[in-house]
Amino acid sequence: MRIHITYSILLIVALLSSCQTAIDLKLNDTTPQYVIEGVLTNESGSCKVLISQTKKFTDDNSFNAISGAQVSISNNGTTYNLTASSAGVYQNSTLTGAPGQTYQLNVNINGKIFTGTCIMPQPVALDSIYLVKDNISNNKDGSTRKNVTVQYRDPAGAKNYYRFVQYIDNRKEQTVFVDDDEFTNGQTVNNRLNYSNSNDDPAKDIRPGNTVTIEMLCIDAAVYKYWYSLTGSASGDGNNAAPANPVSNIQGGALGYFSAHTIQRKALVAP
Amino acid sequence: MKKNERTCYLTSIYPITTLMLRSKTVIAILLLSIMWLPRAVAQNPLDKVCSINLNNEPLKSALDKLTAASGIKFTYNETVAKSTAKITIRAKDQTLRDILSTALAPHPFSYTLLDQEVLIRYDPVKSKKSGPAPAKPSAAKYTVSGTISSKQTGETIIGATIKVPGTTQGTSSNAYGFFSITLPAGDNQLAISAIGQKSALITLVLTANHTLNFAMEDDSHQLQEVNIGAKPRGARDLASPQMGVVQLSIQETKNIPVLLGERDVIKTIQLLPGIKTAGEGIGGFYVRGGAADQNLILLDEAPVYNASHLLGFFSTFNSDAIKNVSVYKGDMPAQYGGRLSSVLDIKMNDGNNQQFGVSGGVGLIAARLNVEGPIQKDKSSFLISARRTYADVFLKLSHDTLINRSQLYFYDINAKANYILGTHDRLYLSGYFGKDVLSADQIAGINWGNTTGTLRWNHIFNDQLFSNTSLIFSNYDYKIDVKQDINDFTIFSQIRDWNLKEDIQWFPNDKNTISFGFNEVFHTIKPGEITASGNSGVISQRLENRYSLDQAAYISNTQKISSKLNLTYGLRFSAFSVLGEGNFYDLDVNGNIIGASHYTSGQVVKTYFNPEPRAAAAYELNENSSVKASYTRNVQNLHLISNSNAGSPTDKWVASTNLIKPELADQFSVGYYRDLKDHQYEFTAETYYKILQNQVDYRNGANIFTNQPIETQLLYGKGRAYGMELLFKKKTGRLTGWLSYTLSKTERQIDGINNGAWYNARQDRTHDIALVAMYKASEKWTLSANFVYYTGDAVTFPNGKYQIDGGNYYYYAERNADRMPAYHRLDLGATRQLKKSAKFSSDLTFSLYNAYGNKNAYRIFFRDNENDPSRTEAVRTTLFTFVPSVTYNFKF
Repeated sequence: MRIHITYSILLIVALLSSCQTAIDLKLNDTTPQYVIEGVLTNESGSCKVLISQTKKFTDDNSFNAISGAQVSISNNGTTYNLTASSAGVYQNSTLTGAPGQTYQLNVNINGKIFTGTCIMPQPVALDSIYLVKDNISNNKDGSTRKNVTVQYRDPAGAKNYYRFVQYIDNRKEQTVFVDDDEFTNGQTVNNRLNYSNSNDDPAKDIRPGNTVTIEMLCIDAAVYKYWYSLTGSASGDGNNAAPANPVSNIQGGALGYFSAHTIQRKALVAP
Repeated sequence: MKKNERTCYLTSIYPITTLMLRSKTVIAILLLSIMWLPRAVAQNPLDKVCSINLNNEPLKSALDKLTAASGIKFTYNETVAKSTAKITIRAKDQTLRDILSTALAPHPFSYTLLDQEVLIRYDPVKSKKSGPAPAKPSAAKYTVSGTISSKQTGETIIGATIKVPGTTQGTSSNAYGFFSITLPAGDNQLAISAIGQKSALITLVLTANHTLNFAMEDDSHQLQEVNIGAKPRGARDLASPQMGVVQLSIQETKNIPVLLGERDVIKTIQLLPGIKTAGEGIGGFYVRGGAADQNLILLDEAPVYNASHLLGFFSTFNSDAIKNVSVYKGDMPAQYGGRLSSVLDIKMNDGNNQQFGVSGGVGLIAARLNVEGPIQKDKSSFLISARRTYADVFLKLSHDTLINRSQLYFYDINAKANYILGTHDRLYLSGYFGKDVLSADQIAGINWGNTTGTLRWNHIFNDQLFSNTSLIFSNYDYKIDVKQDINDFTIFSQIRDWNLKEDIQWFPNDKNTISFGFNEVFHTIKPGEITASGNSGVISQRLENRYSLDQAAYISNTQKISSKLNLTYGLRFSAFSVLGEGNFYDLDVNGNIIGASHYTSGQVVKTYFNPEPRAAAAYELNENSSVKASYTRNVQNLHLISNSNAGSPTDKWVASTNLIKPELADQFSVGYYRDLKDHQYEFTAETYYKILQNQVDYRNGANIFTNQPIETQLLYGKGRAYGMELLFKKKTGRLTGWLSYTLSKTERQIDGINNGAWYNARQDRTHDIALVAMYKASEKWTLSANFVYYTGDAVTFPNGKYQIDGGNYYYYAERNADRMPAYHRLDLGATRQLKKSAKFSSDLTFSLYNAYGNKNAYRIFFRDNENDPSRTEAVRTTLFTFVPSVTYNFKF
C-alpha cells in the first residue's frame, strides 16, 4: 500500500529539479564497525557470509573486506564451517537451507563474537510476472516506461514477508523491494515493483528485448524489519528526522543481517 | 522504494518556485534607491525646545498658542478648557517640560505625557501640597465598567489601556473589549488609549457604579507612523505578573517583508525571541525548545490542528480577517491548557457594524477579498474574508504534461457575524474553512484542511462580573488518492472536537482580578480508513476510532499586594478520560503485544488527573523597570507523531491511551523589563528552564504506516530546555523595529534511542538572531527589512559507509550530533501608498525574499556520486534564493 503512494508522490518530485548542489561537508569519522551479511537459501551453493568494515564517507565505495574470521552456521546440532573463498567472502558448498529449519550464525573476528538466528519461512509461490505501462512518466528518451508486476497468492494462515530482486539482462536493480501482508493477508496480490531512476540512467530502464528476471525471497519478520529500516533510515535521503542504523538481527554489535530465505525466479523478455 | 512518503510531498512545491523565478515578466524589480535617512526621529514631546512669550493668557488659549509654537498637542477636559486661570510664560529655547513646570506652578493643574501628546489635568491636590497632607478618609468606592470599541468600525478593542493618570492604577480591556475598574467616589479621570487609536481623557464624578462604553477614534496620524506597540507610558504592563507574552495587533505585521508577499502572523511571531521557525518551507514553529505539536493554536477559541497551507509555506491565517494575536511562551494563564510549550491565541475581526467595506489584494501567488458591514447598524455585523492561491496557473505554463496537469492550490474562508442583544449580552458566530489540494494529473493526490466553528455568548452579569460561554467545533482531515494501473486507493484520516467552554472574569475590588471557568472537550480521532479497489490485494479497512473526554476547571487571581508588587496565582485541574469503544493493549519492552482488553462504547479505559499550578510575581523597581518570576505546569494529552523532518499533513494526532501518558512540562522563568527614553524603547530579558516528561518518539525503524496499534511503534522519554531571550524594541518614530536574540539548549533522553544518552533535539539551536526594521521614508513610501541568523538544526550525518547487497548505506554513531550549516537571510520590503482618501485607498507592496541569495540548506542528503559511482557525495537542497514579489492591496 504505502509503496504505491510513495512511488506516485515520488514521481511528482522526481520531475522537479530543485536547486541541488554537491557540497563539502566535514563529517566526523568514527572507529570502523564490522558489517556482516549472512545469506542462506534453499538453493545449493547459496550459503555465503560477507564480512567487511565501515569506511570513511570520503573513501571510495569498494568492499572493505575483513579476512581471517571464523564463520559457521549450525542447524539441529550440526555445525557447518564456512571458509574464505575470497577476501571477506566466506562460503560452505554443502549446506543448503530448508524451510522451517532454524539456523544459527556464529562469527568470530579476532575474539569478538557475533551471532544471529533465523528461521527459513515456508515458500509462497510466485505465480507470474508481467509488465505494465507506467501511467505517470516516460523514459528520458520519450519511450514508454515499464514496470514489472509480480503476482502471488498470500497464505491467510501466516504472517508473510517478501523481498523481490530485479535483474535487467543480469544487471541488478539496487532498489530494495520489500512487502508484507499486513494489508493483503490471504489475498491474490499484484504488486508493482517501482524502481527509482532519478539519474535517468538508460541502463536501468526496461526496454524491448531486455530479459527481466525477478527473484522472490520469502523472508522472516526480523529480516523484513532490517530491510524496511535500512531503506527508511540508512539510505541517506535526508528526509527522515532521525536517521539511524537499521534494526539488525545480529547480536554482538555488528551492522548487517542474517537471512535464511527461500528463493524462486521468473523471467520474461520485454516486447 | 519504501522511502518515507511524508516529505516527498513537500518537494513537489519546487515547480512553483522554479516557475516563479523564471517568470520574470510578471515580477517587478524591487527598488530600494531611497536612502535610509533617519530624519526627525520622534522624541519625547516634553523635550521639545521652543520659545514663546505669553502674558496673562487664559489657560486654553495659552495651550493653543503653545501648540502652535511647539507642534505638540495637548489633551484636556472641560474643567481645563473652561478654567479662568491666567498663564504667563517667558521662554527662550526652553524645553516644554520646563515651560509647563514654570507656567503651571501657581495653578491647580499638572501635566503628564500621554503617548505623543501632553495631558493637562485639574489637580486640586497640588495646591495643598505645601501643607501637611491630611490622611484621606477611606471613601466609598465604585466600579466603572464597559466595552471599548472603535468608532469607525464598531470593532471591540482588545488590550486598550484604561489608566488613572499620574497613578499606578489601571486596567486593560479583555479579549472582548470589556473592562472593569474600581475607583474612589468623587472626581476621577480616566485616560483611555490603544494602538492606532486617539487617546482620550474622560472625567467622571462617581457617586455610584458607572457604565462606560467608549468608542475610540482612529488615529490616522499614528497609523502612518508605523508604530509597533506604541502605547502611552506604562502601557507595556510592567506591573503585570504575566511573563513570556507577546501581543501583536495585525497592523504591526503589515510592513514586514514576507515570502511571496503573503502577510503571515505565524511567520511574524517567529521573528521574536524564543519562537523559532521550524525551517524554510515548514509550517511549524518551536517555542522554547518545545516540539511543533506543543503549541496550542486557537482561532476564535477553536483549536487548529494543522496551521499550514501548501505544505508549510503559508499559514492558515488570513491576515485580513485577524484582529489580534497573543503568544504565550509557556507561562500561559490558567484558562489555557492542553499544550506544553505555547498558546497562539488569534482573534478574528468582528465585522464593521458602522459601514459597509470591501478590501482585498492581488499578489503573485494569491488573491484575497474581504467584505464586511453592518447587518443592522450599531447592533450587528458580518465579515467574510476569502483567499485562493493560483500557483497552479503557473504549472499550466510548463511543457511537461505531468506538471501542467497537476493541481496545487489552497483556499480558505473566514466568516463571522455578531449581534448585540442588549446592554449585557452579545453573540458571536465565527467559522473557518480551508482546503489544500495537491495532485498530479489524477494519478496521485492529497487534500487536507481544517474547519472550525465557534458560537460565543458574552454576558455581563454586573459591573464586576463578565462571562463568555463558547461552543466550539474543530475538525482536521486529510484524504490521499492514488491510482495505479487498475488500482485505486484512498486513505482518509480525521480528528474532530466538540468543545464547551465557560470563562468568567470577576473584578471584585481594586486589588484583585479573578478568572475562573471550565472546559469540556470530546475528541474523536479516526486514525485511518483505507479503501482499495483493483487487483493489488489490499483489503479495505478501518482502524479503530479513538475517543476521549478532556475536562478542565481553573481559577486564578491577580492580586495587587502593594503599589510595587503584583501576584498571579492559580490552578488548572485537568481530567483526561480515554474512552471506548475499542481494544486497548499491553506491550512488552520491545513493543510486542502481550495482551488486549476490549472496552465498550463510553466505557472509561483510563482517566488521567493532573493539577496544573501557575504562580507569577512582578515587582516594579521604578516606573521604568520591573522584575518578574513565574512557574507554570502544563499538561498535554494530544500528541503529534511525526518522523519526517519537515512535518506533513499526514502526521498522526494521537490521544493519550492506557500506554501513552500525558506529556508534562514544568517551566521556571525570571525576567527583567525596562523602558527607556520615556517608553520609546523597550528592553526585555527573560530566562527559562523547562523540564519535560513523557515525551513521545518513534522507535528506530518504526513502521509509520501500520494497522498495528500505534503504541507498538513508540518510545517515551524526557526532555529539558533552557535559555535566555533578549529583545530590544523601538516603538515610535519614523524608524521602528526590534532586535531579538535567543541563546538556548534543548535536549531529549529516550530509552532505546542513542543508547539512552541525552541528545540534542532537532530544534536545539544555540543562537537565534532577528532584526526587524521599518522606516517611514515619506508619505508615500514605507521601507522595511528583516534579517535572521540561526545555528543550524541538530541533525544526524553519516559517520561512515558500508555495503549491503552491493549497495551503499550509511553508518550513524550518535543521534543529532551534527549541525546543518547556519541559516541566514535578509528580506527587503517596500510599500507604496497609491491613493488615499476617505472612500478609497490602495497600495503596492514589493518584497524581495532572501535578498542576497544565500543558499540556505533545506536538507542535506547523501548519495552515490552520479558521475563517479565509486564515490559518495553530500548534496544540499536549497529552496529559495531571491524571491521577488509584488502585491496590490485596496480598500473602499
